[in-house]
Amino acid sequence: MERSPHPFFKVEHLRKNFGGVLAVYNVSFELRQGEFLGVIGPNGSGKTTLVNLITGFVKPTSGKIFFKGKKITGKKPYTIAGLGIARTFQMVRLFYNLPAYKNLIIPLCSSRVKRLRGGRYGEKDDEAIDLLDDMGFERDSRVPYKDVGSLPHGYLKRLDLARAMALRPDILILDELFSGMSMSEVASTLPLIEKFNREGLTIIMIEHRLKELFRVVDRVMVLNFGEKIAEGTPDEVMQEDEVKKAYLGIDVEIPPREAV
Amino acid sequence: MSLLIYGLINSVILALYTVGFSLTYGISGLANFAHGALYILSGFVAWSLMNAAGLPFAVSGILAVLITAAIGFAFYWVLILRVRGIPLAELIVTFAAGVAILELMTWKGFYGLRYSLPVFVNGGVEIAGVGIDYQRLIVLASGLVLVIGLWLFVHHTRIGLAFRAMAQNERTALSIGIESDWIGALSLAFGAALAAIAAMVVLPLGVMESTIGYDVLIYALAVAIVGGLESTLGMIAGSFLIGYGQIAAARYIGAKWMVIVPLAAIVFVLSVKPSGIFGKFKELEERV
Repeated sequence: MERSPHPFFKVEHLRKNFGGVLAVYNVSFELRQGEFLGVIGPNGSGKTTLVNLITGFVKPTSGKIFFKGKKITGKKPYTIAGLGIARTFQMVRLFYNLPAYKNLIIPLCSSRVKRLRGGRYGEKDDEAIDLLDDMGFERDSRVPYKDVGSLPHGYLKRLDLARAMALRPDILILDELFSGMSMSEVASTLPLIEKFNREGLTIIMIEHRLKELFRVVDRVMVLNFGEKIAEGTPDEVMQEDEVKKAYLGIDVEIPPREAV
Repeated sequence: MSLLIYGLINSVILALYTVGFSLTYGISGLANFAHGALYILSGFVAWSLMNAAGLPFAVSGILAVLITAAIGFAFYWVLILRVRGIPLAELIVTFAAGVAILELMTWKGFYGLRYSLPVFVNGGVEIAGVGIDYQRLIVLASGLVLVIGLWLFVHHTRIGLAFRAMAQNERTALSIGIESDWIGALSLAFGAALAAIAAMVVLPLGVMESTIGYDVLIYALAVAIVGGLESTLGMIAGSFLIGYGQIAAARYIGAKWMVIVPLAAIVFVLSVKPSGIFGKFKELEERV
C-alpha cells in the first residue's frame, strides 16, 4: 500500500475544560487506515467527551484534530459527518416517529452518499432495507417498517449502528455500543463490527465490556481523569500498574492465590 | 347556523395565522415573534407591487410570498444565527425585528383606509340561509389545501424528511450530516411563506394596517399555546376552540369581547395544562 505523507487520522494535544472541570487533558493519538482502536477508562474519564470533540459536538479548548491531512477541529457536526466520520450514541435517540428504514433514508440521501454511490430520494428504500437486513433485522419481519418508537429497547442500539453505517463512513466511532445490550445481542453484533473492520473500515470503539473489546481491537488507549495513561495492545496495557490502579480504584497488589 | 359557519371561517383564519409559526417552531425550536410582522409586510409588498409596479394581484401575490420567504431566509442568516441556541436571545431578536418592521411601516404611512388587497372573486352565495362571500369560501379552501399540501410535502420529500428528523432530534440529525443551519433557515423561510400565503387570502377581507401584525402574532401564540406547541393536531384544535369561542363571545356577550378570548385562553391553559391540549410535557432528561 502506498504510504501517504499524512496519518489517516490524528489528534494532537486535545484539551477540553467545562468551566473548572478538565474533561480531556492533552490527549494525542494517531490512527492508521483500517485500524481498530479501543478506548477504555473508568466512568468520567473523558471518553464520551473525546468522541464529542472528534465529531464536532463539543468545541475543544485547545488542540488539533486532523483527518486525511485536513484540520477538522471546530468544524460543525454535519460537516464532519459529511467528511466520513460517523458515530453512534451512548444514549440512543433515533427518530421515534419514523419507520426504522426511514431513519436510514436521511443518511443515505446525504450529499456524501450521493457523491459515493449516486441515487435519488425515493430510490433508496431498498438500500435502507438491505442495510437493516445486514444488521439482522430481516426484511421479511415487520421490524423495518415499524415506527422506531414501538420497537423493543434492545433493537435501538443496533438500529443506531445501522444509521451510522448508512453514512458509508471512513471512520466509525462506537460510544458504548454494547451497554444495554443482552449477551446474545452482543454476541451477534460483535461479528458484524469485525466484518466492517475486515472490509477496511477504521473503527474507534469505546467500551466497558473489556473481554469483548479485547477480542477485536488492534490497540487500546486508556483514559483516566481526561488523560491518556496507557496505549498499546490489550495485553501490554493491562500489565501497566497505572491501569490496574485506575480500574481497581486503589493501589493494591492482587495476591497470588495460595495453593490449598 | 351562522354561528357554525362564521365560527368555522374564523377558526380557519386562525389556523392560517398559526401554521407558519408552528411549522418554524416545530422544526427548529425557534419561536418567531416577527411572524405577525412578516404577515402584514407581505400584504404591503403585494399592495406596492400592484400599485407602484402595476402588476396584477395574481402576480404580485405570488411575488410577495416569494419575497417574504426570502426575507425569512435572510433573517435567519443575518440575525438569528448569531444568537442561535439561546432561546431568550432568539425571542428578543425576533420580537425586536418584528417591532422594527411594523413601526417602520407605520412611519412610512401604511395605515388608514387606503390600503387593501382585492378579493379574488366578487360576490357570494347563500348556504343554509347564511350569506357568505366567495372570498371567505376561498379562505376555507386554502386552509384545507395548505394543510394537505404541507402534510404531503413533509411526508414525501427529502427536505420534508429532514424537517421531521430535525424536529424529532437535532443531535442525531446532526450526526447523519443534516445541516442544522440550512434547515433552520429553510424552516423560517417556509414559515414566512406560509404567513404570506395566509395574508394573501385573508387580507382581502378587510383593510390593511401595520398594527394587524401584532394581532396576528397574539392569535398565533394563543393558538399554539392552547393547542400545544409542535403539535399539528393541537394547532387545529386550538384554532377551533379559540375561533368558535370568539364568535360565540361576540354573539352572546358583545363584539368587543372577541379580543379577550385568545388572551383568556392563554391564561387558562397555562394555569391548567401548561403544555397545551395536545402538547407533551418534556421528560426531565430532555429538559436538563
